[in-house]
Amino acid sequence: MTSRLLQNFKGGRALVVIGRGGKEGSLESTLAKLGVTTEYPEIVDGRAQIDVGNLQSERDILFVDGDLEGAVAIEVNPISRLPPVPVIGLVGVEAPSRLKALVNLGATSFLRKPVHGGAVYTSLFMGVNQFMLRSDMHARLQDLEERRRSRRAVIRAVIFLMQQDGLDEESAYSQLRRESMRARQNLELYCEEFLSRRASAPDIPGRATSITLRGGNKQAM
Amino acid sequence: MARKHYRIGIMFSTTGSYSVVARSMLNGALLAFQENAEADGAVTLEPVVVNPSGDLERYRALSLELLGAGIRQVLGCYTSSSRKEVIPCFEKFDGLLWYPSHYEGFESSDNVIYTGASPNQHVLPLVEYLASRVGTRAFCVGSNYIWAWENNRIFREALTARGGTVVAERYLSVGDTEFDQVISAILEQRPDFVFNNLIGTSAYAFFRAFRAACRARGIDQVNEIPVASCTLSEPELAEIGDEAIDGHLSSSVYFSSLESPANAAFIAAYAKAFPGGPVSSADAEASYIAVKLLAAALEQAGTDDARAVRAAVASQSLLAPQGEVRIDPQTYHAWLTPRIARSTLNGQFEVLLEARSPIAPDPYLVQSSPRFASAMRSPVLRVVQS
Repeated sequence: MTSRLLQNFKGGRALVVIGRGGKEGSLESTLAKLGVTTEYPEIVDGRAQIDVGNLQSERDILFVDGDLEGAVAIEVNPISRLPPVPVIGLVGVEAPSRLKALVNLGATSFLRKPVHGGAVYTSLFMGVNQFMLRSDMHARLQDLEERRRSRRAVIRAVIFLMQQDGLDEESAYSQLRRESMRARQNLELYCEEFLSRRASAPDIPGRATSITLRGGNKQAM
Repeated sequence: MARKHYRIGIMFSTTGSYSVVARSMLNGALLAFQENAEADGAVTLEPVVVNPSGDLERYRALSLELLGAGIRQVLGCYTSSSRKEVIPCFEKFDGLLWYPSHYEGFESSDNVIYTGASPNQHVLPLVEYLASRVGTRAFCVGSNYIWAWENNRIFREALTARGGTVVAERYLSVGDTEFDQVISAILEQRPDFVFNNLIGTSAYAFFRAFRAACRARGIDQVNEIPVASCTLSEPELAEIGDEAIDGHLSSSVYFSSLESPANAAFIAAYAKAFPGGPVSSADAEASYIAVKLLAAALEQAGTDDARAVRAAVASQSLLAPQGEVRIDPQTYHAWLTPRIARSTLNGQFEVLLEARSPIAPDPYLVQSSPRFASAMRSPVLRVVQS
């Protein structure tokens, strides 16, 4: 799998959640050079006012001051641990608890406060591209997980063909693989549909009835 | 009213492998100092000249020496590696480095004023020219440091986006002059052109050896495999020598052959001040521009404090030898006028194309490149028969 690298951030929007005191240094001016506009969400009762529903991962980047406890409430995917948009941590106090909070928010890059202009492009590049890379990895893992779950259908389809057509295991598998490629489907999906078609065709002679690999039934094949 | 006096650091490697260009840069700067001394302006400038001899450690040491002596404005550096080496010193002491050379971009320090060309003002116009008029198969050669790496990367992405191909990239150490293998590879590949990012003596040796190798094989190098550069300037043509001086393409914001009253005056004054050469170059003009803008900014700011001078220079503009030049207040890079030219037998450049007016600097190629990096296709390398 080849991940595309984002290197031009034109049109991006940085939402900078930071405590008062101007410690962001040259963050805004450097982001402007990179074609990224900056907004500072208001912090009310310790919570940044961010319209999470309107966040767009293609456009928005969230900069979060690690020194603000619980200022950002965004939903992190429980499996991928990814936030809805890239998060870049602004690190003031380098304490494990604060770094951990940023990691828990799904931060994929960090910037020390006060922000040094020369560090912004690197941090943005890493933060956004690591987010994209992890998103791609998560999607790939989900796909593999789905195929792993569907693997039982392949076994059942192989056995079905062995019993129905008297094929050996290798020939049955090869036939299914060839037909799945012809149908432009992955093998697992093809086998599921193959079994489904067979299940809805009760008049097939010699249909196997002894396959018992359903619902956790661990009987021998 | 008494004229305010400022000491200005000048740091060029006037000895070493890229000394020819550096000496022309020093000359360009000194000419501006001379004109400042002759003018009845509000400031007088005293150049404090140091020579790092191309040694990166010396660049850092000399920067600290200048800044430690209370000098806050320094004009200097030719290579990007030297500039990146000294920037931390200028940031630490809050000095201002005036960097007067074309470079590969992707940098914007608050402590640097960039008066040379950004990549959208040199390499991108060159890609446009080459792809539309010369061909789309490129062989890239360069000196092994950040300038060539990044300029080739920008070149490759822009050329690939236009359907072109980089058939190979080869890098040699700065100062290396052994080109037999590289030239064999080029002749084996027979690209439409060579994109050259070699600097100094390496570049001069390459031009000579490549022309000679083509001649020996009956190849009309100028027309069949031209060499295109973003660095090649007039004093370097003299170094290449008569045997291989003509037919090289160069993308630059300044050539000595430009016809304008401002350039005629610059060329005449330069020749009078430095009869022993080296002749002027784009980087000499950028150095001249830098000192002119620095003098104007010092006069406006009334101090050599880095922040005050930086703020003042943003509102300056200058009718330079190349045309109008001004500093972009967001990036502190210069608005400049891109041109493509071809070298001639008399050691000059014939301008083939030029922008109608100065164009904005785009050091991060925010306005000039796609959002995503182009797919990193490997160059089409073939085994070179030994």
